[in-house]
Amino acid sequence: MSEWYMNEGKDNDVVLSTKACIVRNIKGYNFMPRLDDKECKSLLETIDKVIDKDKYTGGCAADFDKQTVLRLTRLQILGRESNQMATPERKAFYYNDDVSLSIAVGSGEHLTVKAMAAGHDISVYKKAEKEVLDLESKLDIAFSESYGFLTSHVRLAGTGLKILYTVSLPAISKTEGGIAALTQRVSQYEWAIYPFAERGEIADSDVYIISSVNTLGVTEDEVLKRGEMLIADVIKAERALREEIATNQKDQSEDIYGRSYGTLKYAGMISRSEALQALGWLRLYHEYYDSGDIKVSCNTINKLTMDILWEPDAPSKKSSQSAASQKYRAQGIKKILKGDD
Amino acid sequence: MRCERCGKELTNRIIKINGVTYCENCARLMGYDRFLKDPADFLGNPFSQLDEIASSLMQMNELDFGNSTLTCPKCGMTLREFETEGRVGCIECYNTFNNNIVREMFKQQGNSEYAGRLPAQSADTDAETSDVPQAKKKAAAPKTVEMEISDKAEEPVKETKAPAAKAAKGGLTLDQLMKADLGMLSDEDLEKGIKVAAEAEEYKLASKLRDELKGRKDGGNNV
Repeated sequence: MSEWYMNEGKDNDVVLSTKACIVRNIKGYNFMPRLDDKECKSLLETIDKVIDKDKYTGGCAADFDKQTVLRLTRLQILGRESNQMATPERKAFYYNDDVSLSIAVGSGEHLTVKAMAAGHDISVYKKAEKEVLDLESKLDIAFSESYGFLTSHVRLAGTGLKILYTVSLPAISKTEGGIAALTQRVSQYEWAIYPFAERGEIADSDVYIISSVNTLGVTEDEVLKRGEMLIADVIKAERALREEIATNQKDQSEDIYGRSYGTLKYAGMISRSEALQALGWLRLYHEYYDSGDIKVSCNTINKLTMDILWEPDAPSKKSSQSAASQKYRAQGIKKILKGDD
Repeated sequence: MRCERCGKELTNRIIKINGVTYCENCARLMGYDRFLKDPADFLGNPFSQLDEIASSLMQMNELDFGNSTLTCPKCGMTLREFETEGRVGCIECYNTFNNNIVREMFKQQGNSEYAGRLPAQSADTDAETSDVPQAKKKAAAPKTVEMEISDKAEEPVKETKAPAAKAAKGGLTLDQLMKADLGMLSDEDLEKGIKVAAEAEEYKLASKLRDELKGRKDGGNNV
């Protein structure tokens, strides 16, 4: 089965992915920061017993080989931070065939259920909720009438729900004051926007995460509806600005589009930021290029962007800038672009 | 190896008291300071007792007479640890640090009331992926960048009824709320007031308003 991000998603010219994350904790166990190894082992066993093994593969992270860790990082189950796999004996990960649905145990909270889809697709919430309901029926979940689902991170207490849209905004970021105006707009919905970068990393792309913030004082339905209104506005604004740039600066845009494609296709070595910049230009002018010489689909641009963004090495680390890494990256890009020709 | 009290990984020093392994910090918190001393300290410094008195006098200046030593009886987490890390250690911490947690919730979200679904009950949602018209190639009249973003920035207040706007529009001021007889306020005023108080970091007032509102709702449910 193909992996989730290979699917053709809706509005994939702007939205790379939609994710729903729901966290839960189990009564009778301390939360993760205060859970000793013995209790943690018991927690992993308790959860393992209720996981539907016909649907999910995986298990304790200590049993994963290097290839599995790399695959799960690339498919966005594991974060790229090096501490993600610290104390692997205290963590477990379960995932379905296309890795669109996963259950993480011991990653911040006892349970993190995550559903992901390519492009703009809010049905991820229902998919995650279905799994959570199943777990809630089998496990004794920490819940209070006043604060909802209890979590170790107080900012997650309540619904324990986060909706995240990963968006590529080359036109808004290239427009003076564009991101500032968008940030203001997003905060009016009580959502947040931040550049794609993990702790200690440098944001080196025009990819942003738009994320829900509130878990208290709002229903799940309100969060979803607010998110849908917001993302529709973001898509409209980004498309309008692309149109503006492509129309008003046609020659320059076409030139840089061709150059960017050439760099990606023929470079023998390419740095992460150079590749992401080039992909940003391809995305920006993609809809407006009609000479037919360059054939690259939105899906391919997205796949390349996500592959590079979720490379296991962070951009601040020297290893991802080494000649060998740059060569390896360039070869990978060439191979994928060849498939589109 | 981990500290059996706080669960932290033990790095440089392991203290075992009555068969229980502690980290340095927990041993100190449990009042086992004497176990932390290196015997060489006594031999090398005959005036160590005097030094100890002097240092404890110096520490008096730094003492916090608030309840920063408040400790969860179940997991041993202290209020200070919660304030530093933003995380609690167990369900009981929600009772132990209740006031601080509510304050933190107000600070982060402007609310501390749960409005979501109950366990094992599906959320009542019909949210669907909205349709956004696809970009048209080479449109005749491009719009200006500033217009596109700033015009939009005006809309969501109406559409989403963002709480910040609700508090500002037609609600009571902070001063009025402080002086008001809560029994005379409408439910809507109370709701708006909670937001206003939380934004002004008047958490006591916010909790009073919340309790009043909750009392009415509970009363209503009983009827």
